[in-house]
Amino acid sequence: MTAGLVLLALIGIASAVGSSFWPDVFFKTLPFRVLLLLLFINMALCTINTLKRFLQHRVQISKNWRLLLRSTGLVMLHAGVVFILIGASLYSFLGHNVQLKLLEGDTAEINKVIPTDKAFSIKLNKFTIEFNEDGSPSQYYSELVVSEAGKTALTKTISVNYPLSYKGIKAYQISYGYLTDVLIRDGDAAEKTVLAEDGDFIQFTATVRAVKVFKYIPNFDPELGLETKSVEPVNPRVVYSVYNGTELLGVGAAPFGKPINIDENVTIEFQNARPYTVLFLKTDPGLPLVTSGGLLLMLGICIVLFGPSVRKKEV
Amino acid sequence: MTSIEHLLVYIVLGFYAAASIIYFAGYRWNWLGIFAFWLATAGLTINLLVLISRVIQSGRLPLTNGYEFLLSFAFITVFMYIIYEAISKNNNAGGLVMLINALLIAAIIMLMPQQIGQAVPLMPALKSPWLTVHVITAIIAYSAFTLAAGLAIIQLHNAVSADDTSVYKITSSGFAMLSLSIVLGAVWAEQVWGSYWTWDPKETWALVTWIIYAIYLHLHRRRDWRGNNARILVIIGFVLVLFTFFGVNYLLPGLHSYA
Repeated sequence: MTAGLVLLALIGIASAVGSSFWPDVFFKTLPFRVLLLLLFINMALCTINTLKRFLQHRVQISKNWRLLLRSTGLVMLHAGVVFILIGASLYSFLGHNVQLKLLEGDTAEINKVIPTDKAFSIKLNKFTIEFNEDGSPSQYYSELVVSEAGKTALTKTISVNYPLSYKGIKAYQISYGYLTDVLIRDGDAAEKTVLAEDGDFIQFTATVRAVKVFKYIPNFDPELGLETKSVEPVNPRVVYSVYNGTELLGVGAAPFGKPINIDENVTIEFQNARPYTVLFLKTDPGLPLVTSGGLLLMLGICIVLFGPSVRKKEV
Repeated sequence: MTSIEHLLVYIVLGFYAAASIIYFAGYRWNWLGIFAFWLATAGLTINLLVLISRVIQSGRLPLTNGYEFLLSFAFITVFMYIIYEAISKNNNAGGLVMLINALLIAAIIMLMPQQIGQAVPLMPALKSPWLTVHVITAIIAYSAFTLAAGLAIIQLHNAVSADDTSVYKITSSGFAMLSLSIVLGAVWAEQVWGSYWTWDPKETWALVTWIIYAIYLHLHRRRDWRGNNARILVIIGFVLVLFTFFGVNYLLPGLHSYA
């Protein structure tokens, strides 16, 4: 027990220091992982010993229901921690996660975006944002269609807190964004429309000037600069900047449908902002173990701490 | 409604502070004890009124921002203390426990006055049934740790006997609730972000707090650790509870920055 307590204390101190000074990297470092490994070994041995004692004295223990309950609780809570550590390690070594960006109508073959032997596709039918009265986002919805071997296997609308789970792969509504349709008139060249992401550069043939599509702002307020007043598209603008080589010529906030002169015979026109969803895809072979461990830990602690006390003469 | 709620919060502060002063005065004049008890009960009633007003305004339980958390935290702590005093007939820790609660309410007024009377819609991440169980278990745990720390400090100060059964029992209950809160929070995090544990500062410091109390519960089984050594661990645990709420919220922002 002493070694386990020393390990717990070390992990506590290390976590406090790591969280305060190097929160992004500390918990992935080898020394911290070694501490967790040692804790796992200690807890596994502790669980085995507790279980052994339980089995050795099972006749006496089974005669005293209070002792039986407490012994069961102790085994459960220590086993719970072991399960959690094994499950977390499985995710660390065998699990995968990736962020997937989908425009409405886009389809992704799942085994091309995340390492898996499952062959199915996810299509985004529709992405919608529901708003509160004050303009703040109330919920984000992605209507997804899962297809396998050319047939629709499942249609589900996911939202924040309500992910999709299919054949061991989970998809979470994690973020969203916008791409902008830009109509380009470039001298004598034919008109063309490109889909631009925030930060993209548009180059031309009829001029050396270039345009940077800086940011789509759904509710533009000059006083707020690049921050949108709300997520609802009340006053949509695209902030852009025009360059001549590396020299910045100007910055503007353009409404949709209005041509902007870049140079002689060169214009751009922002036509439409198209929302995309960002899904967090995950395979986690350790999740069932972690969930079972959490359940065991909760039940074990409640049994030991809230259950009937064991009188000393009964021990 | 906002100005009435402001006023009520100040009144709660007044009652808790007055109860604390009179409990302390009760060390010299015992007869003041019952007066302090009723002041604390009156404060608790008004605290409950503010919580009910929040429920009516927002249409949900008051658990979603720092103001509501502190208000509920103070309410549960005073409620637990009143039950403890009524059962144990011991009001030695009353002054200190009520002082801590007065400071919690004062923290609302000083650190988050803009949240008083405000009913902002919930952000999508908070729209989950897990919110209620995760936060309620955390509040009960924090309240139990506060009461246990109050008792431990007074017992240390008064150099009483090695019998710290009440501190142990209250801390045990708090530990069980903190464990539930951490596990249920992890289940919720998995549903909302796809990761049950991200070493977010709030998670990390909740784990650090859990560890100190886990060590306390193990060491308390040893006769030589009972009494003052164990009481000191309970007090350190309470300092960690305060840091997990205030320190992390203001110094180490992360995924729980709304809390």
